[in-house]
Amino acid sequence: MKKRFDISSLMRSKLTWAVVAEALILLVCLIVRPDFFKISYQPSTGMLYGNLIDIVNRSSEITIIAMGMTMVIALGGTDLSVGALVAVAGAIALKFMRWDVTVYNTPGDYTVYPFVLAIVVPLLVCIAMGLFNGLLIAKGGMQPIIATLILMVCGRGIAQIVTNGKQFTTGYSPFRVIGQGSMFFLPTPIVITVIVIVCVSLFVRKTAFGTFVEAVGVNRSAARLSGINAQMVIFIVFALTGFLSGISGLIYSSRIMSNDSNNAGLNYEMDAILAVVIGGTSMTGGKFSLAGTVLGSIIIRTIVTLVYYFGIASEATMAFKAVIIAVVIVLQSEPVREAFAKRTRARSQLAGGGAVK
Amino acid sequence: MPDKTLLEMKQIEIQFPGVKALDKVDFNLRAGEIHSLLGENGAGKSTLIKCLTGVNHMDAGVILLDGKEIRPQSPQHAIDLGISTVYQEVNLCPNLTVAENIFVGRQPMKRGQIDWKTINARAVELMARFHQDIDVTRPLSFYSTAVQQMVAIARAVDIQAKILILDEPTSSLDDNEVKLLFDVMNDLKAEGLGIIFITHFLDQVYAVSDRMTILRNGHLVGTFGVQELSRVDLVTLMVGKDMDTIFNLKRADVKADAPYMLTATHIGAPGQVDDISISLRKGELMGFAGLLGSGRTETAEMLFGAKHATSGTIEIEGKKTDIRNPYDALMLGMAFCPEDRKRDGIIGDLSIRENIALAVQARRGFLKPLSKAEQNELADKYIKALGIATPDAEKKIGELSGGNQQKVILARWMATQPKVLILDEPTRGIDIGAKAEIQRLMLEMCGDGVSVIFISSELDEIIRCSNKVIVMRDREKVAELDGETCSQSQILTIIAEGAAAAGGEAQ
Repeated sequence: MKKRFDISSLMRSKLTWAVVAEALILLVCLIVRPDFFKISYQPSTGMLYGNLIDIVNRSSEITIIAMGMTMVIALGGTDLSVGALVAVAGAIALKFMRWDVTVYNTPGDYTVYPFVLAIVVPLLVCIAMGLFNGLLIAKGGMQPIIATLILMVCGRGIAQIVTNGKQFTTGYSPFRVIGQGSMFFLPTPIVITVIVIVCVSLFVRKTAFGTFVEAVGVNRSAARLSGINAQMVIFIVFALTGFLSGISGLIYSSRIMSNDSNNAGLNYEMDAILAVVIGGTSMTGGKFSLAGTVLGSIIIRTIVTLVYYFGIASEATMAFKAVIIAVVIVLQSEPVREAFAKRTRARSQLAGGGAVK
Repeated sequence: MPDKTLLEMKQIEIQFPGVKALDKVDFNLRAGEIHSLLGENGAGKSTLIKCLTGVNHMDAGVILLDGKEIRPQSPQHAIDLGISTVYQEVNLCPNLTVAENIFVGRQPMKRGQIDWKTINARAVELMARFHQDIDVTRPLSFYSTAVQQMVAIARAVDIQAKILILDEPTSSLDDNEVKLLFDVMNDLKAEGLGIIFITHFLDQVYAVSDRMTILRNGHLVGTFGVQELSRVDLVTLMVGKDMDTIFNLKRADVKADAPYMLTATHIGAPGQVDDISISLRKGELMGFAGLLGSGRTETAEMLFGAKHATSGTIEIEGKKTDIRNPYDALMLGMAFCPEDRKRDGIIGDLSIRENIALAVQARRGFLKPLSKAEQNELADKYIKALGIATPDAEKKIGELSGGNQQKVILARWMATQPKVLILDEPTRGIDIGAKAEIQRLMLEMCGDGVSVIFISSELDEIIRCSNKVIVMRDREKVAELDGETCSQSQILTIIAEGAAAAGGEAQ
């Protein structure tokens, strides 16, 4: 039997409403700035420019982290430490990109340590920190929100210790490519994000890992009794989230070519959780949608762009953002979706009845 | 007094999309009566109850309470009218104290503050009425399911109820606890309460109720006094077929020289079970009898690695094994349907397909996924083989009835083609037709050479199916009987008084 296209079930999907929300916000942007969708090519940098490109580019850090956060939330938990891990990754990367002050006076295109260390070590440390979260949760039986609170609080401290409380800057050009360079006419962060999305999606959906995550998230006891190694699933998910936070941290610090233990990745955990929730994954765990999360992250960034366009005073930015997000979440809420689904169903039945007569 | 009609439901009709859930059903309840409502799953029992409790709205019909027409709009409204319900799964908060659970939402106040003294004193008083001398300031989760059930009933009755609905209250109680519940029900009956009792246990229907009403496929079959109808007639009326055709089962045929599949020697763990030894032949069905808490479940969990056995050895096909977790057991060809289907069995948000494929997938590891086509094939095969009632494999398992959920869990393990299958209370809380089907499946698997361990509280099904019966008592194995020759009374005696009392037959 062929499945009939059903508009009322479309109305019931959270993803539909996320798309609607994004479209509405973009529409408002277009009204405020008629040239909003304009994309231009700059031959000197070999990059495309435009608002849409910028939104996607700037959402990279959150999108990458939110990929991992989606699975953490599907397990029924949250990871609060991701923002702190961004700071840690930046601090370690910059530590390896110091220059020898006895030779050079100012930051420039040089580094004492091999560049590969500045990339690999931060990522390894972030994976280790993710494993630490996993250890507390899987073996220690702690609630994820509490377990990850530990690194959320002390992660920035670790970042400070790594750099002795100093802020390093660098001018090393291979590092600049990560956050500010371009590939295939696009800003590098977008390319990295696409690679991450593809890899995570393949890992989750082309293996049975996604199903295992969902099974453990819905009913850990039943999953275990079915032979699933729930602890291993938890370890992998938190290690992966740590790793992705590390990538995000490298992009962030490459954008500013510096480390900033206090502000790097600030509130990223909240934005990542928000992206996942807007994307339609329930905070109680279970079924998750990576595509929804990507969309959620882009919605958050579009709102920020909209705020700039309206020229809203920076003090009011957060409040404005909150209001729009509240509207999006209400649009996606069960009663609202159900009401819309009922209305369309009633209407299509009416139309069907009319046709019979 | 017994002749005063308390509740009358006339010509109740309810239409669900596509089906008539109730068709002109009449039901009446007298004050001071225990009235059983019987029927298979899907017969319309819960739909009828939900009319009364304001969850479902009737399309036609009238409800008269004390001669006045009522139309319950919501569960709260029903409670205000004096209709209280205690559900199968205890609907209380395990983290609150017993007293808080009884009075939550209607706490007595004193000077604008909750009057804890009165709450606790009244809770003690109330629980005493149910023969429960317990510390009401302990959290509810501290107590057994039976006590929790009593607390739920206490709460229901204390809200000035005229009608008490008990929906499968006994499904997780052992015999003594059931007796206690019956005492309480009889006390309440004497006080003039009308009690509607829903259960799958026919013995209990006869033990406690005055009248019974039978539903089948949304239709009223009839209302009878308990003396008017024999058990066999009752089942025939409920199912529409007679009992012999349903339970026409043949015990597994085990050859005397069949090899041992599973041998456990002196396994045990502190606080769990002591020194259990069993040996199970290929194609044999071993029944585990005993009260709840006698160590049946703990033994099963130890064999499957869900709990750690600190002493003893387990051999599979003559080879010594080290089973540390369910994954090890799975890899050795074992399978386990746990006792608490909801808590340990189903993955509610996932589809039937995913639930069936889960154990096979777990054995392969996540890096070697079953393709969607393979999963569908597996799901379709078992949906058909086990007669799982569902439109398709993509329905969430959580939306199925208990019997069908159990079949899906069974399918999950059958798909792994196990050598040893452990079933802990696989027929609890499911209707008689599905029960017979699961027993038939079990025996079919034995015929295919699978060794089965079958744990059940219902002795008749243990005796009907088992080759060997293990009797557990106080966390110990007290007897091993031959399934063909043992009798229900023999097992009961052993459970009650130990093996010595039952004579020398037990080895």
